[in-house]
Amino acid sequence: MSKLKSRRRAIPGAALAVTLVTASLALTACGGGDSGAGKASGPLKVWVRGAGDSQKAYQMVFDAYTKKTGVKVELFMTNTDFETKLNAAAAAHKLPDVVIDDGAQLGTFKKQGIITEVDKSKITGAGQVSATAWKSVADDKGATYGVPFSAQANVLLIRSDWLQKVHMQPPTTWDQLEAVAKAFTTQDPDGNGKNDTFGLDVPGSTQRGYLSWYWSNFLYQAGGDFLTPTGSGGFTSTIGSDQAVTAADFLKKLYCTDKVVQPGALNQVTTDTNKAFQTGVAGMYLTGPYAYATTDATAVKGKYAVVAPPAGPKGVGALAEGTTLYAMAGSKRSADFATLASYMISPEAQTTGMTGVPTATIVRLPINTTVDAAEVHGGDPRWQTAQDVYAKSSTYEPVSAPDWQTYRNDASETLNKLLSGCGDSKQALAGLDSTYRSLLKK
Amino acid sequence: MTRYRWATPWLFLAPVLALFGVFKFWPTIWGIYLSFFEVRPYRGNRWVGWDNFTTAFHDPVLRSAVGHTLLDAVVTVAASALLGFGLALLLEGPARHLRILRTAAFLPVVTAMVAVAELWNTLLYPGSFGTVNTLLGHLGLGAQPFLSSPHSSLASVMLVQVWKSAPYDMVIFVAGLAGIDRQLYEAAAIDGAGAWHRLRHVTLPALRPVTTIVLTLGIIRGLRVFTEIYVLTGGGPAGSTETIVTYTYKEGIQNNTLGLASAVSTVLFLVTVLLTCLTLWWRRRKEA
Repeated sequence: MSKLKSRRRAIPGAALAVTLVTASLALTACGGGDSGAGKASGPLKVWVRGAGDSQKAYQMVFDAYTKKTGVKVELFMTNTDFETKLNAAAAAHKLPDVVIDDGAQLGTFKKQGIITEVDKSKITGAGQVSATAWKSVADDKGATYGVPFSAQANVLLIRSDWLQKVHMQPPTTWDQLEAVAKAFTTQDPDGNGKNDTFGLDVPGSTQRGYLSWYWSNFLYQAGGDFLTPTGSGGFTSTIGSDQAVTAADFLKKLYCTDKVVQPGALNQVTTDTNKAFQTGVAGMYLTGPYAYATTDATAVKGKYAVVAPPAGPKGVGALAEGTTLYAMAGSKRSADFATLASYMISPEAQTTGMTGVPTATIVRLPINTTVDAAEVHGGDPRWQTAQDVYAKSSTYEPVSAPDWQTYRNDASETLNKLLSGCGDSKQALAGLDSTYRSLLKK
Repeated sequence: MTRYRWATPWLFLAPVLALFGVFKFWPTIWGIYLSFFEVRPYRGNRWVGWDNFTTAFHDPVLRSAVGHTLLDAVVTVAASALLGFGLALLLEGPARHLRILRTAAFLPVVTAMVAVAELWNTLLYPGSFGTVNTLLGHLGLGAQPFLSSPHSSLASVMLVQVWKSAPYDMVIFVAGLAGIDRQLYEAAAIDGAGAWHRLRHVTLPALRPVTTIVLTLGIIRGLRVFTEIYVLTGGGPAGSTETIVTYTYKEGIQNNTLGLASAVSTVLFLVTVLLTCLTLWWRRRKEA
């Protein structure tokens, strides 16, 4: 009897112990331990948005940097909710020392106050970085808020075997693009006897602003832009311009009238459109040169050509993008940031970034003018095309606008609505223009 | 020792309560608190009073999202319950083949939503060579746009939800049916009641508590619908499948307005609590 009594007493005690352990585990999981920066010594904490083989490539670059300078790098890399995790770190005031992320985050990061200005004079080799790349990390008043690491411009991937079948050349103008798209859609270029091919591969989803990202190529070809800097800090909206309307009308014609866009486009993101191009659903794909590696790993390897995007009313135009090193607020490691940035823009690191891990070109186009992308890639002319487009005909989005992502998302919503309803472009963009104006007033 | 006996159940509950506290209750309270701020993780949050709620109530996108959510909830809850009830009537019983059939019917419930959504995405491919469209073609029907047209996207999304949740409702109904006293059926039969009258006057009244559970769970599920929509359409095309939670996700995560997202979540939370209380009150009144 006494045994039973003592066991009964022991059970609540055990339950209590389990609770305490669980609670403390949960709390530790939430706190995440000490992962923040702010320390003047120890490894440099670097967060990179990316996954898969890119991690190996970044590790290669950082290992070489550590070997050179003795500064150790602690790398944290993810593609999943990267910005959310950064928000959590910001709230805890435990930001990493350096963040390597999409160049389009500049305005957002700056508005959040989580990045600091970069002193270009402290960065060795800054003079070798192209002026275009430096411009992409400047805010609306010209102050530098990051160091460019990689650049890219969109190019046109086109099925060369399909072109042969329909007896056509790669398009160089909007009219030709439309003609080829129609031929790809109606003339059964894959010869399977089914009406199952399409001209254009469009990521038309509103998620992460995909449709705006795609359409901006046409916008720049028409000579338009989303926002224009006033010159004295700040922007004005130019999204309601005639050029923008022309660009919207062109995409609308392809989607609504010609019906040459792959089915389901308005819900699709780039994962879907990559698949559509790789499996022979659509024959023309405007995308970045990073698509070479992934596309070459599929059945369409050797069956597609890479050309400059077609010329619109204004001429050849393409969206330029980049990857940027941001110096994070609260870090006491500005000297190490400078040496890391100096190393990452050097020809050595740029070359490693391009070819160190063939499946992960973390440097798409070198921002260092002394490095030649085509040469590094063993004379691959596709890289020459991308480099030419970037140097001569590309435009960056106004990434320094505060919360640029919001503008991009709003543009996607408007265009998605316009295409799905085949409505009036001028009216749709006038609506977007007034949204932009109210955002700019904030 | 008996003085502390009241503590024993609480101690046993404590591990779960602690987990809920950390991962559910505290985030909920924190979310309500954040609704009154412009959330700036690094610079410190700025108090804005009711501004986020005002913005939310004036946003036409949210208004249409509420409309879609309500329509989605009502239609999917009703359709799932009806279908689940039908399945339960067909598959109730101890026989082995029924057990196998029930398990087969239940499979959609235990399959991960993302996998289900990707599967349906492929099946509902809008081209004439999509799986479902090929079948429709054999029946002499034209290719349907399904998820890719704003006119049919919400209906297509609902179809997937019903497919996924009807078997769940079925299981609850099966449990309810098993609990009905067989003698009632026999008595009704002796009194000359046909199959329809037995269903109407014996089965349905006996299933009332179960129906309440099915409806309550369904409404809660319907109001916070997210995964299937996010994977299938991302809220598009043209915002035609935007629901309250996809809107919250877009505002909070993509547009970085966590205060507004919190305000919308707070309203959704209050509405859910209110609806649940109403259902419970209605149930008690009916059963009293």
